[in-house]
Amino acid sequence: MAGDIVLGYDGSEGSKAALAVAVTVAKAFDAPLMVVFGYEPNPMGGETADYKAQLERIGQSLLETAVADARTLDASVAVEPVVAPLRPAESLLEAAAERQARVIVVGGTGERPILGAILGSVPHKLLHRSPVPVLVVPAAHD
Amino acid sequence: MGRSPVTTVAADSGELGAVPASGPSPGKGLKTGALGLVSTIVIGIASTAPAYSIAASLGFVTAAVVFQMPAVMLLAFVPMLFIAAAYNYLNRADPDCGTTFTWVTRAIGPRSGWMGGWGILMTDLVVMPSLSQIAGSYTFSLFGANGLAASTFWVTFVGVIWIAVMTAICYIGIELSARTQVALLGAELLILAVFSVVALVKVYATHVAHSVRPSVQWLNPFHITSVGALSAGMLVAIFLYWGWDTAVTVNEETKDARRTPGLAALLSTVVLVATFLITGYAAQAFHGANYLTNNSDDILQALGKQVLGSPWNKLLIIAVLTSASASTQTTILPAARSALSMSVHRAFPRRFADIHPRHLSPGFATLMFGVLSIVWYVVLTWLSPNDVLGNSISALGFGIAFYYGITGFACVIYYRRHIFSSVRNFIYIGVAPLLGGIILAGVFFVSIFYYSNPENSYITGQAWLPFIHFDVHLFGWHLYVKKGLGPPLVLGLGLLLLGVPLMLAWRVRHPEFFRRQREVADSVDALAPPLTPGVALVTD
Repeated sequence: MAGDIVLGYDGSEGSKAALAVAVTVAKAFDAPLMVVFGYEPNPMGGETADYKAQLERIGQSLLETAVADARTLDASVAVEPVVAPLRPAESLLEAAAERQARVIVVGGTGERPILGAILGSVPHKLLHRSPVPVLVVPAAHD
Repeated sequence: MGRSPVTTVAADSGELGAVPASGPSPGKGLKTGALGLVSTIVIGIASTAPAYSIAASLGFVTAAVVFQMPAVMLLAFVPMLFIAAAYNYLNRADPDCGTTFTWVTRAIGPRSGWMGGWGILMTDLVVMPSLSQIAGSYTFSLFGANGLAASTFWVTFVGVIWIAVMTAICYIGIELSARTQVALLGAELLILAVFSVVALVKVYATHVAHSVRPSVQWLNPFHITSVGALSAGMLVAIFLYWGWDTAVTVNEETKDARRTPGLAALLSTVVLVATFLITGYAAQAFHGANYLTNNSDDILQALGKQVLGSPWNKLLIIAVLTSASASTQTTILPAARSALSMSVHRAFPRRFADIHPRHLSPGFATLMFGVLSIVWYVVLTWLSPNDVLGNSISALGFGIAFYYGITGFACVIYYRRHIFSSVRNFIYIGVAPLLGGIILAGVFFVSIFYYSNPENSYITGQAWLPFIHFDVHLFGWHLYVKKGLGPPLVLGLGLLLLGVPLMLAWRVRHPEFFRRQREVADSVDALAPPLTPGVALVTD
């Protein structure tokens, strides 16, 4: 199962643009595409179980859309959706390690780098920490 | 169906995507294994916020019991320890969010459970003015603007900004890394230790004016003048330990969710007791108990300057501010999640379960709580401009005693079939939670009597609701109220009682939550079935 394409997907414009590119890349390498939604609540607040269940539901419905969109783009690419209870960057690194991924594809936020620094930019973290190449797709890409 | 099954990953399974979810995939299956014992302890202590708790409450404990303040600090630890046992065991059956709300709903019934949840939410609301008050006042004194630190308007102004910023942080989902949290908490405890050591050294070595040699007698509760005073002191002192329950309720994040939280709660309580006793002794020795009472609104500002001197006292102020910041966040986050939990189980309006699509926070609940906190803070400042802090801290005590106490009883009721099956069970799920509940109920009711007399208000004689007038004899207690009640009682009890009509109104419109049956534990180690089956799958 080595050589998967791993895509981070959260429903944002950037992640939708990344989905299109990820399908193209998966097709080009004839590799399966894993679409990952990862989120972990701040443990400082406690009481996370029902909250996580809600997040999981949101993740599942987002990924259903992503899978449908990928099918529309190219029905021949095998797509596997995954909801991971980890921080977004961690979930992508974990998925990449698990599948010995060829590349991680994420959407760029395409906006204010200072805001990204405060909020914690996933592409930024991946660029520094990922052992495999990272492909950042700008939100406006088509 | 042409849909691919969506996989949910157990992060510690070592196998991503190994479990295709066919059909219902409840959140209970998630295991993250993220938090170890140390992180859980850090979360428990940081949520309790020692520096802020001391700044907010020291002078109000001495106001009630004078030199026996350390005795009350130690005594307040007893019911908390007992309730820790209840949290530990109920957490085994139902490592869920909602804690008291879900536990009490199972054990005692939906109406009590709803009121328990309401108690949590109201207690979270009542603490906000005291947090913003401390934040406002200590921010000004950090920059040496002592005039502004004493101005009600400017302190309230900064306090409102503080709530707004903290709400935004929780709404957007900004969080500190675990390592930063450990560092901040370590610094906070270290600064409190330095403060205590310097204060005690000065007391012994340099004979500070009005200083008092520490005495073992300060730990003797029998020197407290009346049961009412003891109870009022306890009401404030339980607030000191409030928050460690977060260490128990980080449930599913912990590596061993059924053992780690209990141990963490226990260890964090030990650290807290030591911190409070040492700091309490040092502060009281330096200038005596009355000094603490007279400076109750800004006690660590007043003492810090004299003990540490400028600029080192700024360290103490920074510790109070970082502590208050952690405490504000650990108030807003669980308040929003408790509301979310009640909403998911159909006990609260649906919108409170809304998740913000980009930030993935419980958006509506978080914003609602922030807005209500600001409104409440401004209203309270308008009602009692000179004792926002004292009234809030005592009113808080009513809320904490109520929902911790009812949790203790819930534990005994839920595990009633297993109490006598072993000595261990008898102590941990029988005696301890029951005693904890009884002590807190005692504190709750005796404090009602105490604060029904306006002579015991922080501003002596201050009474609210002057039309209230009655004279009753009850179990040998004489309750004679003329021309109103003390503000802490009106606030603390009033907000809890406000829940009763709301609960009844909710029951009329949404009876399904209230139809559920009580449950009893099958065994001490068994997980309970989901409170609302299939709740994770509900789409509106």
